[in-house]
Amino acid sequence: MIATKQLRMTVYASLLAALTAAGAYLAIPIGPVPIVLQSLFIFLSGLLLGSRWGVASVGVYLLAGALGLPVFAGGVGGIGRFAGPTGGYLLGFLPAVYVIGLITEKTRKRVVFDVFAMVCGSIIIYSCGVSWLKILTGMTLAKTMVVGMYPFILGDVLKIAAAVPIAKALRPVINP
Amino acid sequence: MAELSAFNFRPGSSVLHGLDVRFKLIFLVLISFTSLKAYTVALSVLTLVLVAALMHSGLSLKSILKTFRYVSVLLAFIFIARALSTPGSVVAEFKAISITREGIYYGAMICWRLVIVILTGLSFVLTTRPSEIKAAVEWTLNPFPFIPAKRIATMMSLMVRFLPVIIDQAKETADAQRARGIENRKNPVYRLGKLGIPLMRRTFERADKLAVAMEARCYSENRTDPVLSSGIMDWIALCGVVCLCLVIISA
Repeated sequence: MIATKQLRMTVYASLLAALTAAGAYLAIPIGPVPIVLQSLFIFLSGLLLGSRWGVASVGVYLLAGALGLPVFAGGVGGIGRFAGPTGGYLLGFLPAVYVIGLITEKTRKRVVFDVFAMVCGSIIIYSCGVSWLKILTGMTLAKTMVVGMYPFILGDVLKIAAAVPIAKALRPVINP
Repeated sequence: MAELSAFNFRPGSSVLHGLDVRFKLIFLVLISFTSLKAYTVALSVLTLVLVAALMHSGLSLKSILKTFRYVSVLLAFIFIARALSTPGSVVAEFKAISITREGIYYGAMICWRLVIVILTGLSFVLTTRPSEIKAAVEWTLNPFPFIPAKRIATMMSLMVRFLPVIIDQAKETADAQRARGIENRKNPVYRLGKLGIPLMRRTFERADKLAVAMEARCYSENRTDPVLSSGIMDWIALCGVVCLCLVIISA
């Protein structure tokens, strides 16, 4: 029974990693900056798989990117991406998905907690991403936030709004 | 159906099929890095080499172009964003927005590099069995302690396997909805919502079926992997790729 559960979670975690990779190539043209769906699937990994398997899913995704498979948004894969300007965001996905998973595991699966978990997750992603961007470019904190955070907030609100019904629809499939 | 999408393994007997996976993985990393430093001439050389390799391994030019239908939207966005945001000599101006010559140049370069990376990944996935990818990942991770190499390798080959499934399912769902007249609804949010949730549900159901199938066949992590062996061809190819990359970087 335990082995069955583990196998299913392995398959689901791989599927979410694949969806994250596909999401990196899907952009929705709303607002000033196109919304890339990558982080939507990061949120969903946390919500659907929980902390441990969520981290496994995102870890596999990042490793595939580091090995050079074309899975990252906006371009060049390979380990060099982690040192590039968006590297902070990529590494921020790991603690973010852990925290989202942890919050949903500890609380009952209610919309309020889901939204709270995802807001925490986005804060973690931005704090990692913006601080790395600041170190790399040497801009002031305010200016880094103008470049690396404010344009994406609208998109994140929409993604959180989209993740809630998707998580609601998929939870019965995952945990029957 | 899945065989129509290009991101699938195709059996064949080309040079790329014959090379060792570990070498192909090294090529993937090398070419990705090199394309960062490459400009017009080098990029055209790389594109030619890659397209030739792809066609040699059995993909027609038409299906290569078809693959890019999915990414062309993203490429267009990157290009436009660059063209608008880079300072330099102005080509065209409209109110506060100005398109600069430098912007167009850098935008085109970045899109071209992206195309190179996708082509490289395509030729890798096309000519490598998922079980070989798994074995190569395992081989890479083995020196590190405390990492469950076997499980990570399984997950990664599953992930590569799921990519065509997702694309396939997206097409199927979109076709089904078009047949039911979704085009009459102009609201994009409504359409995305109606597409997204069934799509996700169906891919998860397919993943579920896969898990059941794996279980029914007594899947366990201890299984015999394909044997990796490198020959003289691999070393020749490695020399070729390294030379090409060095020339491009130093040029």
